[in-house]
Amino acid sequence: MKQSARRKGLKQVFLYIVWIALTLITLFPIYWMFLISARSRVELFSNRNLYQTTIFWENFVRPLFQGVYGQYVVNSLIVATGNTLLVVVLAVLAAYALSRYRVKGGQNIFFWTITNRMAPPAAFMLPLFLLYSRVLRIGDLQLYDTHIGLILVYCVFNLPFAIWLLKGIIDGIPTSLDDAARVDGASTVGIIRRIIVPLAAPGIAITALLAWIFAWNEFLFATTLTSVKARTITTGLVEFVTVVGTNWGEMAAMAIISLLPALLFLVLVQRYIIAGLTFGAVRE
Amino acid sequence: MKTYWKLVIPITLIVLVATVLGACVPAPPPAVEPPVEEVAPPAEVPTWWAEAAAPYKGVTIRGISESTPPSKYVLEVLVAPFEKETGINVEFEVTSWDEMYTKAIRDMEAATGIYDFVYIEQDIIYAYLAQNFLVDLTAFSEANPNLLYPELEMDDFTAFIDNFKDAEGHVYGLPFEAFLKVYLYRTDLFEDPEIKAAFKEQYGWDLRPATTFEEYRQIADFFTLWGKEQGVELWGSTVQAGSHPAAFYEMFETIFPSFGVYNWGINMENWKATTANGGALDSDRAKEALRYWVEMLEVAPPEARASTWDEVAASFAGGRAAQGWVYGENAAWIATDETRSAVVGKVGVALPPLYEGVLDDAKARRGYIGYYDGGAMGIPHSSKNQEAAWLFIQWISRKEIQGDFAAKTARIVRTSTFDDPLVKEMDPKVGGYYTLFKEHGDLFKGAPPFPFHAPIREVILPYILKAIAGEMTPEAALDEAAKAVDAELVKLGYGQ
Amino acid sequence: MKSSKTAWGLLAPTLIILGLVGLLPFIYVLYVGFHDWMIFAKVSGLVWAGVDNYRELVFDEDFLAALGRGLRFTIWTVSIQMVLGLLLAHLLMKKFKGRGFFRAIHALPLTVAPLVVGATWRLLTIPGLGPLPFYLNKIGIDYNIGWSAQQAFFTTVLMHIWHWTPFVTLTFLAGLSALPKEPFEGAMVDGANQWQIFRYIFLPMLKPVILIALFLRIMDALRIVDEVWMLTGGGPGTATRYVGIHIWRVVFPMTNYGYGSAMSVLLLYFIIVVCWLLLTVITQAKREAGT
Repeated sequence: MKQSARRKGLKQVFLYIVWIALTLITLFPIYWMFLISARSRVELFSNRNLYQTTIFWENFVRPLFQGVYGQYVVNSLIVATGNTLLVVVLAVLAAYALSRYRVKGGQNIFFWTITNRMAPPAAFMLPLFLLYSRVLRIGDLQLYDTHIGLILVYCVFNLPFAIWLLKGIIDGIPTSLDDAARVDGASTVGIIRRIIVPLAAPGIAITALLAWIFAWNEFLFATTLTSVKARTITTGLVEFVTVVGTNWGEMAAMAIISLLPALLFLVLVQRYIIAGLTFGAVRE
Repeated sequence: MKTYWKLVIPITLIVLVATVLGACVPAPPPAVEPPVEEVAPPAEVPTWWAEAAAPYKGVTIRGISESTPPSKYVLEVLVAPFEKETGINVEFEVTSWDEMYTKAIRDMEAATGIYDFVYIEQDIIYAYLAQNFLVDLTAFSEANPNLLYPELEMDDFTAFIDNFKDAEGHVYGLPFEAFLKVYLYRTDLFEDPEIKAAFKEQYGWDLRPATTFEEYRQIADFFTLWGKEQGVELWGSTVQAGSHPAAFYEMFETIFPSFGVYNWGINMENWKATTANGGALDSDRAKEALRYWVEMLEVAPPEARASTWDEVAASFAGGRAAQGWVYGENAAWIATDETRSAVVGKVGVALPPLYEGVLDDAKARRGYIGYYDGGAMGIPHSSKNQEAAWLFIQWISRKEIQGDFAAKTARIVRTSTFDDPLVKEMDPKVGGYYTLFKEHGDLFKGAPPFPFHAPIREVILPYILKAIAGEMTPEAALDEAAKAVDAELVKLGYGQ
Repeated sequence: MKSSKTAWGLLAPTLIILGLVGLLPFIYVLYVGFHDWMIFAKVSGLVWAGVDNYRELVFDEDFLAALGRGLRFTIWTVSIQMVLGLLLAHLLMKKFKGRGFFRAIHALPLTVAPLVVGATWRLLTIPGLGPLPFYLNKIGIDYNIGWSAQQAFFTTVLMHIWHWTPFVTLTFLAGLSALPKEPFEGAMVDGANQWQIFRYIFLPMLKPVILIALFLRIMDALRIVDEVWMLTGGGPGTATRYVGIHIWRVVFPMTNYGYGSAMSVLLLYFIIVVCWLLLTVITQAKREAGT
């Protein structure tokens, strides 16, 4: 008994060493990004120290207060959050339908959704651009350079992914629970709200987190389909790449700022993941 | 049930925060008035502009440009007073170089009319003209005489404006920025008596900026060795050889012409690049040039193989190279800005080293010694607000703002600007760059007048990169590149 | 039994949106792929070319080489990511002090935009100026990603693993969260060891989620552009010019829409076939294991 406790303790120590090593590897590039943001341009390529005692605040101050990046961050927040809400709602409905009903060609529809995400995006920019600026246009109203336009187009990569992930999770919830609720007189929407969503909550939380991060970090669609009004922070970052030298310091500073909301979202969602893993076993 | 609501709350919170923030964040803060604007008599400016713009009050025009210092200057300094004067709203999108092209071309090709004015780099104007993307400004201003700013003074523009004219001399863009790619060297090293003595002893001639490629290489060899001996991180020359179109441009816009290979080695009579068809891309001279340039990597700092124009300027500003070919727009900050450069006050400017006969070619207009780059602002045909856009591009080309504009961003498009006190004050600080620009600018030339540009660049680029990486010899790379160019040109409809 | 009308109702919004922003553009690209269309050609505009673009593509050495490089990159990154992600998810499932902290840290790279990941790694590794070559040089390792094709390749692989392994881990955690606990508890009671639990309960139960993670990683790795372009620009030479970058250069800077569209369609077809094969193999295995 004693020996096994000792072995267990050793194992614990070993595990922590692994975790700490992984943490250091994971953090190092981000830490370096922080160092870059704290250095002036003359320091950037001459100072290779792995620590920093001074902070070159201008990197943060100039883009945030003299530029339009504050607005870009807000645009990104609106688009990513809006898209996540839309995607999660639609994906739960679709995944439920594909999981519980025998739809004609259901397997094919399921596979087709994911093919939307497979295409190399470059060639698809022109048709999307035409669609947004010419086809879907009423007078001066167009989807080009609007939040709603980006929210819709991000469904191309987020919706298939969410449907696939959620279908696997909903498949794992026993149908007997649905049937019991149906006997009690619940409608389909009622079943989804009262049975499926609570039981799949941890999975939904992770799906929402990943969808949000994908939308937050997206570049190509955003740069193609926006101009000034709905511009997102990732597209703003390329403004630092100029002929007279990339302003790495300001770019890193903005990158750190753009990382914070994602981090906040991550921490918020974490709680539900943990809750899910501890109590998430299906109660029958 | 509970878990469900717990999930909804943070999401709603984020939406709320986003919306509140959206309401709070103000529009871009009012830009600082440039000092020169204060000097200009304020009563004179408003009347004409306000009057001319009266019918377009409330109109919003949108433009796109590369995020260069001049564009940033326009955005931060020139837009707000224009909006105040005229009541025309300006949305000016500045983005990276490749993004700008992709977006502008897509808009003009599809004729969507998103942009009312676009930045046109000198090298792409001919392609735009061939596709009839742009409004003929000469005809436009004749048709709308009341919109022509009386003090625009077209004759005051430098010869650079000729790049933006068609065969009949009609103008399609007002010059916005222009600069030379020059030879920069470290004056502190070149004038150090000990170094000079050591150099003379070794090579038998007095150390000074190189005029031939042999001299350039000797200087590079010397300083690379000197750096090693002294234990400082110093190399002989910058080389812009990263995996990026920048590598192509250094080779084709700077090294080739100074070796006497002009127009990318393409024969513009029959659109062929191979020597068999009268081209020069696989000529012995071209091969010699590419070999010389690739071998220069031996005496370049290690970052040369990953350098775009960006790292070239950073290496030189970091004091890591004794000499190099550097874009003139960088010369100003390298020589003066202490937050970015470690060689402030130690920068000399000279004409690039040349192959025998090239200077004569250039003087006789048969050739050119290097790159004269820049861009103009033009109006796409698809624009629905051409009048307002025309007013705006005249506004940013006004003579009276040019001094401050030039001193801050190292670009000159008007002859009168060379004599501006602000520019004259700046000149000695940047090693006489503006003087060299004024006196020898005509020896330099922009990209050849091809009705295509990027497609052929993209065909050649991989071969140049393979030569840099050593996957191919420079000779083989050019042989293959010339063949590929011939084939691609046929596909594009030239030289059948 | 169950009304399929309801099912269609539930699917409708998804199908409409994906049809609009997914299917319509695809049809357009397919159409353009059968044409010659170069923006800066003497005669610009769509010219019917039949299957010429595809015929040319099959023999296009540059395209095939880029595809090969992309595949090599995908195989390296995805296999390592899957194994690492699986192990980490397995470890993170156990209760231990600081689990939440480690999980948050582990997920951190995911929150950085690909563009910034590329920029950061570029500054880390840029020869002469970055810290990595500098310190490696001090211990006698010559590290220059502008020169060595091998080093450049593995640097892109490492960056990709760093950035995307958390995605795999999180996807697995999502799948795990919905699993019933009983089989695990039952196995523990029966005295199964760690490996047996992992092999016979954990893996089979996770199969659908493994499949989705695998699919997503394969398609994203094959299409990759931003990160690698920022880091290496596809170099040295053409060593890291993966197929996504190749297509992007043809479509945007070269403005060869016809050929670029054909490439996109062909690559899409290729990815679909690979995924379909994987799906068949894995579901087949599932059936055999299930009986």
